[in-house]
Amino acid sequence: MADTSNPVTNSDLPRKKRNKAGSGRISRESSRARWRTETEQRIYSSNLIDALRSLRHPDSSSVRDAADKVLAVSAKGRTRWSRAILTGRLSFRLSQINRRHKKAAKPVVASKKPAARNNLPPLQRKVKALSRLVPGCRKLSLPNLLEETTDYIAALEMQVKAMALITGLLNATS
Amino acid sequence: MPHSELLRNYRAPLPFFFPSSRRDISKETQLQFRSGIRGSNSQQLGFGLLQAHGVISTQTPQETGGSSFTALLELPPPQAVELLVNEDFREKTLPLIYHCNTALINRASKFSVFDTAGSAPEGNYVVSGSCSMKPDVVKQEPPDFDSHLNSSTPAASNQSPKSLKRKEKVNELDIKSKKVAPNDISVGSGDKLPYIYVRARRGQATDSHSLAERARREKINARMKQLQELVPGCNKISGTAMVLDEIINHVQALQRQVEFLSMRLAAVNPRSDINHDAFLAEESEPAVDNNYQSMFTASMWPEGQISGSRQQYQQLWHFEGHQQPIWGRVEDKSKFITTENSLFKLRFFIKFRYYKLTMAQFVIFKRS
Repeated sequence: MADTSNPVTNSDLPRKKRNKAGSGRISRESSRARWRTETEQRIYSSNLIDALRSLRHPDSSSVRDAADKVLAVSAKGRTRWSRAILTGRLSFRLSQINRRHKKAAKPVVASKKPAARNNLPPLQRKVKALSRLVPGCRKLSLPNLLEETTDYIAALEMQVKAMALITGLLNATS
Repeated sequence: MPHSELLRNYRAPLPFFFPSSRRDISKETQLQFRSGIRGSNSQQLGFGLLQAHGVISTQTPQETGGSSFTALLELPPPQAVELLVNEDFREKTLPLIYHCNTALINRASKFSVFDTAGSAPEGNYVVSGSCSMKPDVVKQEPPDFDSHLNSSTPAASNQSPKSLKRKEKVNELDIKSKKVAPNDISVGSGDKLPYIYVRARRGQATDSHSLAERARREKINARMKQLQELVPGCNKISGTAMVLDEIINHVQALQRQVEFLSMRLAAVNPRSDINHDAFLAEESEPAVDNNYQSMFTASMWPEGQISGSRQQYQQLWHFEGHQQPIWGRVEDKSKFITTENSLFKLRFFIKFRYYKLTMAQFVIFKRS
C-alpha cells in the first residue's frame, strides 16, 4: 500500500512543481542565472545584429527600439514586460491616434493637479515610479511587480553587456 | 456568507484551471486548481504518510527555504499536508487526514497559524483539541476518508467559530518560537469541508486580516530580498523605501546605458556590407590587429581552414554571393597571420566551433 501510494505522491509533486515553475513563477528559477548564461547573450547578439542590419535609417531611437524588441524576443514571452514590449510597439500608433481623438472630445481633467497632490505614503509613490519604469507593469500588484523587476534588471544587464560588445566590435573593424 | 462561497468553489475546481497562463489567473482559480488536485490525491495521502516522511524531509528545506508561512502556503498541498500529518504519525496518534485547502487561507477566514515543526506535544494537543471538539468526526475519519473528500457541507460554517475559539485558547499556550519555518500549516480536517488551521507566532494577532496581510508582506519581503541580491549595494541598506530607491536608480541607470549604447551603435552603423559572421565570431576575440582593419573580415583568418564547413554555415544564414571572393582574400592573409598568433588562432578556432554549433541550432530553431 505504501509503495503504491508513494509513486503517486512523488510523481504528483514534480508535476505540481513543474506546473508552478513552468507556468509563470519566474522568480523560482533564478532569473539571474538564466540571463547570465553566455548562450543567451549570443542569441541576443545575433538577433540584434540581424535586426540592425535590416534597419533602414540607423537612428538612435530606432536602434534602441530594435534592441528592446530583440530583448523581449529572447525573453520568450514568459514575462509580462517582454510581452508588453512586443505588443506595445504595435499598438503605439493606434494609441496615439486614439489619444488625439479623445483629447479633442474631452476637456482635460487634471486628476493629478499639483495643488491637490495627495502625498501618498512615499513608499507607494516609489512603487508607482518603479511600475512606470518597467514596461507593461503599471497596474500590477507589488509582489508581481517585484518579480517582473528582477527579471527585467537581469535582462537589462545582459542587454548592456551584449550591446557594449557589439559596439566595441564595430568600432574595431570599421 | 463566505463559507458558502468556499463551498461553491470547492465543488468545481477543475474547469477553472488554465495551465498556460497561470500568472493571469486570479487567486481564486489558482486555489481552485489546488483544491481540485488535492481532492484526487488525498486518498493516497492516508497510505503514504509514513513513507512520506523521507520525502518531506528532503523537500521541505528546498520548498520553505527556511522562510515562512507564505513559503509553506505555496507548497503543493499534499506536501504541506504531509508535513503536518507527519507530526501526528510520529506520535502514533489518529491518522487524521488533513486536507490543505489554501483557498481558505487566502479567503481570510478565521484561521490561526499553526506551528508544528518539531512540536510534538503540541501537535498532540491540537489533535486532541480538535478531537474533543468533534469526536464524532474523528471517529468517522479513519474508516472513510474517501467520503469527505468530495462532499462539502454547510456545517463547516458552524465549525469555524468554535474552532477559532479553540485555536485561540491553544494559541495562548503556545510558547514555542521557531527559528526555521516557524509557521507550518496545520490542517484540521473539517467534517466535510477541509480547513486550514494555522497558529500565529507568539505575540502576533490571530486576526484573519492581519494573517492575510502578513502572508502578503512575507511574499513581498521574499521578492525584495531577491532584488537586493540583484542590485549591487543594496545589501547594506535596510528599509523598504531605501531599497526601492536603489532599485529605481539602478533600472534608470541601466536604461540610460542602453540609450547611450544605442546612440553609439547608430553612429557606427552603416551596415550593408558587414559580414555577419565576422562580428559574431569576433565576440570571442575582440582584440583584432589594427593592420587588418581595412579588410573587415580580418578576424576570419582561422576560418580559411574550415571554409568547407563555412559554406554550409553560410547557406544557413543566406549570405549573399558576393562574399565568396572575400574568403579567397582571407586565405592569402591567413598564412601570414598564422605565424604571429597561433595561440590566438587555436583558441579562436575552438570557440568558433562551439559558437557555430550554438548558432546553427538557434537558427534552425528560428527558421522552424
